Amino acid sequence: MKPAPFDYVAPTSIDEALSALADAGGGATILAGGQTLMPLLNLRMSQPFIIIDINRIAELKGVTRASGGTRVGPVTRQADALADATLAQHVPVMVEALSHVGHYQTRNRGTVGGSVSLGEPAAEMPATAVALGATIEIRSSKGTRQVPADEFYLGPYMTVLEPDELVTGIIYPDWADGHVTLFREVAQRPGDFALVGMVGALELSGGTVSRSGIAWLGMGPTPIKARQAEAALLGKSLDAIDPLAIAELAVADTAPFDDHHASSEYRRTVGRRIFTRTLREALGLKEAA
Amino acid sequence: MSDHRIELTVNGRKHGGTVEARTSLGEFLREQLGYTGTHLACEHGVCGACTVSVDGAVARSCLMLAVQADGSEVTTVEGLAEADGTLHPVQQAMRDNFGLQCGFCTPGIVITLASLTGEGKEPTEQEMIDAMSGHICRCTGYQGIRRAIRQLTSETA
Amino acid sequence: MNVQLPGAHRYIGERTPRKEDARLLTGRGQFADDVRLAGMLHIAFARSPVARGTITAIDSAAAREVPGVHAIYTQADFSGVALNVMNFFFGPCEAPVTILADGRVSCVGDPVAMVIADSRAIAEDAAALIEIEIDEEDPVITLADARGGAPVHPGKDDNIAQEMGDEDIDEDLQALLDGAAHTITRTIHHQRIAQSPMETRGCVATCDGSEEMTIWISCQSPHLVARYVSLAFNLPETAIRVIAKDVGGGFGLKNFPWREEVAVIAAARLFGRPIKWIEDRFESLTASSHAREQEVTLTIGFDADGKMVGGFGDYSSNNGAFPMGEDCNVAVHMFMWPAYKMPAYGFVSRGWYSNTMGLGGYRGPWAMESLIRETLLDDAAREIGIDPIEIRRKNLIYLTDQPNTTTFGIEVTDITPGECFDKLLANFDVPAFRKEQAESREQGRYLGLGLAAYVEPTAAAGQMAPMTGELATIRIEPTGKVTASLSTHSQGHGTATTMAQVIAERLGVNFEDVTIFEGDSAIGGFSPGAAGSRQAVIAGGAAWTATDMLADKVKEIAAHLYNANAETITIEGGMVHIEGTPEMSHSLREIAEIAYGEPARLPGNTGAGLEAQFRYQPPPFTFTSAAHACVVEVDADTGFVKIQRWISSEDCGTVINPGVVEGQIAGGLAQAIGQVLLEDMPYDARGNPLAATFKDYLMPTISDVPDFEYVHANTPSQTIGGMRGVGEGGAIIGPPTLVNAIADALQPFGQIDLLELPLTPSRILDIVESRDVSGDAAKRAKTEAEAPAEEATAEVASSSGETSIDGAWNMTMKTPAGPQEMVGHFATDGGNVTGKFTSDQGDQEFEGTVEGSRVKFNLDVEQPMKITLKYDLLFEGDGVSGKAKMGMFGSAKTSGTRA
Ligand code: FES
Ligand code: FES
Repeated sequence: MKPAPFDYVAPTSIDEALSALADAGGGATILAGGQTLMPLLNLRMSQPFIIIDINRIAELKGVTRASGGTRVGPVTRQADALADATLAQHVPVMVEALSHVGHYQTRNRGTVGGSVSLGEPAAEMPATAVALGATIEIRSSKGTRQVPADEFYLGPYMTVLEPDELVTGIIYPDWADGHVTLFREVAQRPGDFALVGMVGALELSGGTVSRSGIAWLGMGPTPIKARQAEAALLGKSLDAIDPLAIAELAVADTAPFDDHHASSEYRRTVGRRIFTRTLREALGLKEAA
Repeated sequence: MSDHRIELTVNGRKHGGTVEARTSLGEFLREQLGYTGTHLACEHGVCGACTVSVDGAVARSCLMLAVQADGSEVTTVEGLAEADGTLHPVQQAMRDNFGLQCGFCTPGIVITLASLTGEGKEPTEQEMIDAMSGHICRCTGYQGIRRAIRQLTSETA
Repeated sequence: MNVQLPGAHRYIGERTPRKEDARLLTGRGQFADDVRLAGMLHIAFARSPVARGTITAIDSAAAREVPGVHAIYTQADFSGVALNVMNFFFGPCEAPVTILADGRVSCVGDPVAMVIADSRAIAEDAAALIEIEIDEEDPVITLADARGGAPVHPGKDDNIAQEMGDEDIDEDLQALLDGAAHTITRTIHHQRIAQSPMETRGCVATCDGSEEMTIWISCQSPHLVARYVSLAFNLPETAIRVIAKDVGGGFGLKNFPWREEVAVIAAARLFGRPIKWIEDRFESLTASSHAREQEVTLTIGFDADGKMVGGFGDYSSNNGAFPMGEDCNVAVHMFMWPAYKMPAYGFVSRGWYSNTMGLGGYRGPWAMESLIRETLLDDAAREIGIDPIEIRRKNLIYLTDQPNTTTFGIEVTDITPGECFDKLLANFDVPAFRKEQAESREQGRYLGLGLAAYVEPTAAAGQMAPMTGELATIRIEPTGKVTASLSTHSQGHGTATTMAQVIAERLGVNFEDVTIFEGDSAIGGFSPGAAGSRQAVIAGGAAWTATDMLADKVKEIAAHLYNANAETITIEGGMVHIEGTPEMSHSLREIAEIAYGEPARLPGNTGAGLEAQFRYQPPPFTFTSAAHACVVEVDADTGFVKIQRWISSEDCGTVINPGVVEGQIAGGLAQAIGQVLLEDMPYDARGNPLAATFKDYLMPTISDVPDFEYVHANTPSQTIGGMRGVGEGGAIIGPPTLVNAIADALQPFGQIDLLELPLTPSRILDIVESRDVSGDAAKRAKTEAEAPAEEATAEVASSSGETSIDGAWNMTMKTPAGPQEMVGHFATDGGNVTGKFTSDQGDQEFEGTVEGSRVKFNLDVEQPMKITLKYDLLFEGDGVSGKAKMGMFGSAKTSGTRA
């Protein structure tokens, strides 16, 4: 289980990286934390001509406050993000989700950007970005573009990233102080990808839901935004929310698959349940009689 | 295919070598430097046997290229016991508690627990068990490892 | 003299830390991949991407061009090597096995070509360039496919790899079942398992000149490998040295070298340079031999009281294309009942070929017997309306019931399943649990208690070629330290520790002063190593007696040297003491120096040196008993199972080291938990294995395995030292204990009627929701609709048609060891018949009865074992057909034509 041969460069600036990408003409793969890419290389499921290692690019690391949001450099290690005070304050649900990403040993190298940009549909970081309405900042030697997370994912391990493009930042918009966070996943063992899970945030004002962002993990070929549920929640007062009905709407947006770990019907059934329970608990709603 | 000259410190000793880009850190440690204590049991990042410490943070050496470790300080299982042979407290706890049988998974486990219980750290039993979820042991049913963890918790507390 | 006398220091039974750990904890172990030889080259295999077909072309031109590639071999390159790939019993494989595919591929992962290159990476580069063209055929994947599908091996009539027993229930048994107050039938489908030792298979082989060969291999016994290689290559064994100092787990997978390892050894001989192959995890999961994948249906009749009156089992296993031994696993039936009072039992057992990876060994290979029996007993208790404890107490064997002989003719005299069960219950408050369970249910929490009991045959010796005794050679060196060369092998078993404990205690020396050498065919003598829970029993007995012999020699010498009576001499703490004269203590070193250096001072008939050797041949079987309990909570919302508590009450006789014993039990239990909840190696319809990485093949992690509690009930066995084997028990008793707990928790929702493993969260919701959440029911309906009709099998029935029986008949009996040809001579006289069978084994005469054209007679045979064959033949026209009942081995179909 050894990778096919490749060249390797480790640029120290974004510009260098972009020109290396441009030069490679589509044959390059970006190496960030490597916790997903390296297994693919070792199994020869990925066979790039050149690896562009972005770990030595300082400007791609760290968490900063940006206008109206929090910007996470893609090479920020998951372990560092987990311990980051800014993220804990402004994007708490992302930190909660992060604690379910991989293991202690892999979070030391795994990066937020790597997880976001690879697009594993059952992973926590893509769904979190979609739920919170994050923006993915993408650069190539031709320029910069901003893509909303829910337009970024096309299918399992497929995104809108062009071969010459690099994710240079993930900007999580601010949610009002004290917003409600939603996170729950069902995984067979700690660190496994979820069989099914959900993540999201709600803003309340005057007892009604004024903003909602919710997404599923493991419920389709990409992270799935629960659009119908989000819409149904908007403007609802807490006592008018029927969590089960909202969960039904959320499940209606999904397209889960069967594998030997769980059936699609399982994912729907349990998805509905964890959605209901999470909503109920987060909003302090009483269980229906 | 590119070759790269790298220099790094392993268990306090300086080493250098020329590596193919595709060579993992684990393979480099084993094949070129002879640190065969680091075991490659899956080479896809799940089993944890290959875990080493790189610049103070534990990492899967099968999920890191050797060239990425250029300039790093690496600690492997060979680097834990004292020069006179006294076992590291984690190694001693594993021995006291039958924490290993075949010993193939052991090097990675020892490195993880050593990193968690390093100077000034007082991990809880649950924190250590959580970190252990990144290791697979086929032999022991984890019983002795749990007991070793309890012994370590009471030692550091 | 300032010698500390430790008193009669006991080591046997102590939780002594292991000797092995010092090297393994510091990275100084020596595993196969740690071996580096000058000029060593590396291997990668090119494997079949399809499950079945004929190879039309292999193009390795591009691969040969890769720099660093030295050779590429296909089966044709080995045509000049006379190579005999055998099974574990050193017998021929039914479907001949070549090391690389010979014209056909029979499963995905079938090795087709091997690349020899400077590094594994280069070898993989080249292997990826080898183009294999295959004329693909529809594969036979599942047991259902195998039953009706085209034979996997051309030239065979069907896919039956081996068959034993009789699918027709005999009349007496049928009458018992018909008369039973309750008859319960249950079916289990057990998934395929990947044994997954953490160290994969691996081998380094080198020819040292034309007459010597050294092999480092990840194995379970270097001696067995040496013998196997010698026989397979027809080489004198003395030329072969096999070394396996450290091995990262075997679990049955590494019982003997299989295709790839043999290929590496063949390549080293052919290419003439040291060759290394280290299996990677992808290969290990998809192309190492697998285990389990079985189906069993068991029917048991009970009287109104809940006592068993009779039973019948129908078992099948999916052997794959090239199993490490064609197998219908008759052991499942053999060991189904020794722990219980079962008056009558019939069975049929079949192993089937399919286009999947072949099966190999795995801890507790017959474990299905306990799974189906113990889960059925719980279901029966519920149906009869008694407690699962009561049904076991009514049927379990206690010491007072013995000696007892099972329907299979297995005699048990000292087993304690009943006692273990009672001891278990004494340590678990069942009424308190039932109360908690009832209260929890009120709150929507579902707790369950699982109980199970069994006996396990361990330390088999003397009945199968490789299953022998063990050898211990023990020396007190001139330094006074003790070294022992043993035939044992440890893949984590800790034999270097446990054997040192035995020797230190029996000899009276400090544990630290005893060193064990093993793991090398040049050390010790033949033994199959760790296979069948045997080393503590057999090697323990060998070490025990060899040490006693050595101690006697020391005492004899000391008595002579110091003018004392041998009876008054004791050895303690490495010092030889003479009773009543404490000032007369002498160190072993002092005596050893004389024994080696001045043998003239020794008593007349004692030879020089201080050495003793003993090979221990124990009784054919030594049984271990156990009963386990576990408590689970099932989350009815998600179908997840949390194990809350697990207690083992086992009787493994004399315990040498509880740390090691408990480690063996725990390891087996963890594998059991994996089997019940997580692990699965499924194949798709085209024969692709679907769990090719540890991301998909879910191994139990620390959070899946609870803390286990142990109750040891130590009834010494009849072997030297009184040990009983304990290597496999956890893997045998774990699955039913856990399944029973889950089923108990699910009682408010319903029964598990058909147990399909693993019990994934989806499958648990099937029960909770009483609907097909998992999609299994839909899948089964589809398979049934598509299944080809099974062939009808010939039946033996009375016929009234007149046939002349008298005369000679050419007959064939299908025995498990292969077809047996013979000529039968019959002479009838009214209701009686006399006659004889003539075969290359000689003549055997018989007398029996005739009823119409049906002939019945008994025949006692001595070979291959003492057994009474009960023939029941029906003559019709010029044909004869029927069967011979072979006691514990079921029935052999017998047929023939008039000579
Ligand atoms: S070898 Fe690196 S995690 Fe398994
Ligand atoms: S001790 Fe063998 S795998 Fe852990």
